[in-house]
Amino acid sequence: MPLDEKIQEALGRVAKAPIPTDREASLFDAGVIDSFALVDFVSDLENEFGIKVPDSDLLPTKFESLAKIAAYLSGHGAA
Amino acid sequence: MSALAGFGHSLPSGLLTNESLATEFHVTAEWIVSMCGIETRHAVAPGETVCDLAERAAAACLRNAGITPDKLGAIIACTGTPHRQFPGVSAEVQKRLNAPGIPAFDLHLASISGLYGVALANRMCEQWGPTLVVAAETMTRVMAQEPRAKETAILFGDGAGACLVTPGNTPLAIRDIRVVSDATFSEALRLDFASTLQMDGRTIIMHAVRKLARAVSELLERNSLRADQVGLFVFHQANLRLLERLMQELKISRDQCFINIDKYGNTSSASWLIAASEARAAGLLQAGMKVVVAAFGAGLSWGAALVEVTEGAFA
Repeated sequence: MPLDEKIQEALGRVAKAPIPTDREASLFDAGVIDSFALVDFVSDLENEFGIKVPDSDLLPTKFESLAKIAAYLSGHGAA
Repeated sequence: MSALAGFGHSLPSGLLTNESLATEFHVTAEWIVSMCGIETRHAVAPGETVCDLAERAAAACLRNAGITPDKLGAIIACTGTPHRQFPGVSAEVQKRLNAPGIPAFDLHLASISGLYGVALANRMCEQWGPTLVVAAETMTRVMAQEPRAKETAILFGDGAGACLVTPGNTPLAIRDIRVVSDATFSEALRLDFASTLQMDGRTIIMHAVRKLARAVSELLERNSLRADQVGLFVFHQANLRLLERLMQELKISRDQCFINIDKYGNTSSASWLIAASEARAAGLLQAGMKVVVAAFGAGLSWGAALVEVTEGAFA
């Protein structure tokens, strides 16, 4: 499954609003995730992609859009 | 080895209700509850100071511990909202209690300072003698500064909590306590001079959940305990949703947690001390019970402690 689809699937488990089609759109502004859903989402990404997000990467800006999430995961060996 | 020998707390009589905040911010009271689980907060009256709250909590603590101020060995005042730059709240508490000639100083660490105070007293009380740790906050004054943001204005209340740390291991032995700071994300939660609170809520919540859960898990592991062997968890009362997420992370039940954030909001450094004081007064600290305390705040700083009721119920 392509990376974007996997991310959307994970997002779908916590989403509170429709996921924007624009990959650059803010998931926070679109109401897809709030602070607490973000905690769940990052935890889900760790399990789903077998990565560990270190404390130093716990920044909402790294996970605020589909494009940024994909870039982060690609940079950490997820495919 | 040292112990907690008494608790006390004080809340101002003024109330800050969801209804008044809802009117100001054009939201509903239900929205506020859904965001943070807070129903009401206490607020200081004009002219009432953080020292008034600290003095009342300290006096209640000493009464509960059964000692007079002349027996104190040190006073540590914890606050992120002092009434002035210096001398600090500790000086005023020392003066009002009439306990001269002992170390008295402030810890200016906001939400985590109560736990830091106990960690320090735990190390020093053999030398100093009984050490009063009093945490007091007037967060509503901070939140009154413009520009007011609904996301933070709904969270905070005023109050004070205190405990007495004494040499020995009764009635509530401190088995383990560890506090940590890491300034990597220090700008995410700060209070500049003559300003209102600056909080990047998303960053703070991500770090609070992970660091609190890790601090508690490591504490339990160091002491060969499972979470279900802990009788009571007393967390910094920051936000009900955060507490619920933490319970989920640690796989603990709501019955194991003392929660009073609905009544008082987030009282910063005072919050877990107020909760511990209420838990004691409610008779929840039963003989042999293990209690875990954990707090998180600006710095970023966090920590956790394991205490145990060593003789009879601590009431």
